[in-house]
Amino acid sequence: MNFDYIVAMLMISFGLYCLLIKRNLIKMVIGLEILTFGIHLFLISMGYREGGIAPIVTSVNPASVVATLGVDPLPQALVLTSIVIDVCVTAMLLSLAIHAYRHYKTLDMSELRRLKG
Amino acid sequence: MIEAAPILVIIIPLMGSFLTPLISILTKRYKKDRIRDLFVVSIVIVTLLLVLHMLPTVWSGNIIVYRLGNWTPPWGICLAIDGLNIMVALIVSGIAVLVSIYSLMYMKNDTGLEKYYTLLLLILASMMGVTLTGDFFNMFVFFEIMSTAAYALVAFRRNWDSIEASIKYMVMGSLGASLFLLGISFIYSLVGSLNIADIAQKISIIGTNPLPPILILILALLMTGLSIKIAMVPFHAWMPDAYQAAPSAVVVLLAAGTTTVGVYMMLRVVYILFGVAALGAMLIVLGSVTMVVGALMALVQRDLKRLLAYSGISQVGYILLGVGFGTALGIEGGLFHLLNNAIYKALLFMCAGAIFYRVGTCNLDELGGLSKNMPITAGLFTIGALAISGVPPFNGFASKWTIYIAGIQAGKAFFSLLAIIMSVLTLAYLLKAVNAIFLGQRPKRFENVKEAPLTMLFPMMLLAVLCIVLGVLPSLGINIVSPAYNALTNQHGYIQAVLGGI
Amino acid sequence: MEFGPGFWGPIIATIVMLLGAGFACLMLLGSRRIAKVRPSIVKRSTYGCGEEVKPEEVTADSEQFYSPIRRVFKPFYRYIQPGHSGKLNTYLLWVVIGFVVLLVAIALVLR
Repeated sequence: MNFDYIVAMLMISFGLYCLLIKRNLIKMVIGLEILTFGIHLFLISMGYREGGIAPIVTSVNPASVVATLGVDPLPQALVLTSIVIDVCVTAMLLSLAIHAYRHYKTLDMSELRRLKG
Repeated sequence: MIEAAPILVIIIPLMGSFLTPLISILTKRYKKDRIRDLFVVSIVIVTLLLVLHMLPTVWSGNIIVYRLGNWTPPWGICLAIDGLNIMVALIVSGIAVLVSIYSLMYMKNDTGLEKYYTLLLLILASMMGVTLTGDFFNMFVFFEIMSTAAYALVAFRRNWDSIEASIKYMVMGSLGASLFLLGISFIYSLVGSLNIADIAQKISIIGTNPLPPILILILALLMTGLSIKIAMVPFHAWMPDAYQAAPSAVVVLLAAGTTTVGVYMMLRVVYILFGVAALGAMLIVLGSVTMVVGALMALVQRDLKRLLAYSGISQVGYILLGVGFGTALGIEGGLFHLLNNAIYKALLFMCAGAIFYRVGTCNLDELGGLSKNMPITAGLFTIGALAISGVPPFNGFASKWTIYIAGIQAGKAFFSLLAIIMSVLTLAYLLKAVNAIFLGQRPKRFENVKEAPLTMLFPMMLLAVLCIVLGVLPSLGINIVSPAYNALTNQHGYIQAVLGGI
Repeated sequence: MEFGPGFWGPIIATIVMLLGAGFACLMLLGSRRIAKVRPSIVKRSTYGCGEEVKPEEVTADSEQFYSPIRRVFKPFYRYIQPGHSGKLNTYLLWVVIGFVVLLVAIALVLR
């Protein structure tokens, strides 16, 4: 059983636990981050090949060697894109947390429930 | 036909959203802010014209496939436009034109408008990107851009309710997008490709009858991520808060734009990617639960925009009910209801925005007797209320009648009866809203309330005319919807058009 | 449009509805000519259910407006309305429960 997958699933479940149980907004943001990192780890481990080399074609490794021995470069591109999106969302969430603290004087999510019903 | 029309539809709003802050610096120096607003409106009109330009080619049965950078799929990203795509693109670009004209006057009292117009063009570009693309990860990236721009637009006014609503929307939306990404990573590990047509071909080789457990997990993850976006029960909890707190021009774009795009994504995943048309039975149950919860919660609301938000949740239930019936009449009824939902939801939220602009409150207990001051808005709101309840001769009747008949023909008459009862409840709470706002005694402080300005009335009147025209001549709606129905049930044709020639 | 054993002609139906509405308008205008509105010196008070109602009691609270319908749907409202409590953790719990329900439902329908 591949060790990476177990760690990735553990991270996803820890992140989900943080989102469901913790009440502080900053802790929920950290939980969301851990969830997203677990998914990125899972996606990158998909492309791993046993005993593989980096997928860069140089004069030492021509294209045929990279094609048979290299790890998959596509998940790496996907994860880079997803990390950028995650940075945007985290930045916006933290700035909204600052604004929420100015209005409500607390970051407890069970206090931020004036809109209900 | 312009060869590069599909990619221009995405690039022109994107470049416009990058140019808007620069133009805004220039116009602010010379104090002519109107030029920036008219620049935004012209870009959105150009996008609509490009979409209309692509319509005759797609409606005559061809699927436009545009290869980005001339790389052949599945090794390159392609844009694939069939009947379903072009209908959603038409709805989204039309609503965007009306929203940009509406927000010329509505956002007059707000500061920081260059950020608003940047976000507006960005969300339009990303909605076009989600609609037209043929690559799964590209769809995810544009979906995230659309969601992020929506989070920022909901929190635009930075009041206490906008911040709280945006935090709730953002946490739930990010969880949904993360689950969607997990589904994409499972699909990539299973199939090795990211092109929609290629994944569809390989999944049909694996076999969908019975569905292997890994595909059940993938489908559940993808549908959870998408159901959060379209606010299906029980993932709907962010929608009333977000629609109550956002500026009304933004809510029109969210209700008629992102919901339509989300329903399109769900139909694309279920019917073309997986090819499991038998999932309709689950969609019927989920659609009817959504209908019931939306209508029951809307009966007890005090705030007008919150009531309209729950009503929107209920209408999405109708769409899923219609599509889930599986017969030709059912799917056509569901897609026609998608078109009508965009039209009358936009009309109702624009009227709510006009009332908020003139009066300053949306609480039903404080309003009253505004029909003498705002007669045109009252008439348009009544047209929208009658249309959404399915009263003839408006367009809601045509699509709802199709869904009822489809239910009876498919042998599931119980769901048709449930849909009829929920229509009656829809009429009930909307008539309560009309009574509380426009009829009755008028409080003294509303004596000098004027009618909404003409720039805000023009998109509303256009939508009301569309309501009446699509109701009196429903064959026009069926002409738009039946290419979409043909595209939805033609998985083989889609795969052939995108991958054929390899 | 034809839907099996039924016929809906939207143009004919619209013309009939407009004719009916026009007829009702004619009746309204005719009745205004017969019984003219005369302003009176004394402001007439509201008279409802056998007793006089003060003006501030005439308005209906928007949440209690449909209390008979709420009483009919009481078993649904007991679970739905307190569930929309406003706490984000509850909403995220619904998302997880909904994901499990979707998983079970897809497995039931497509197996």
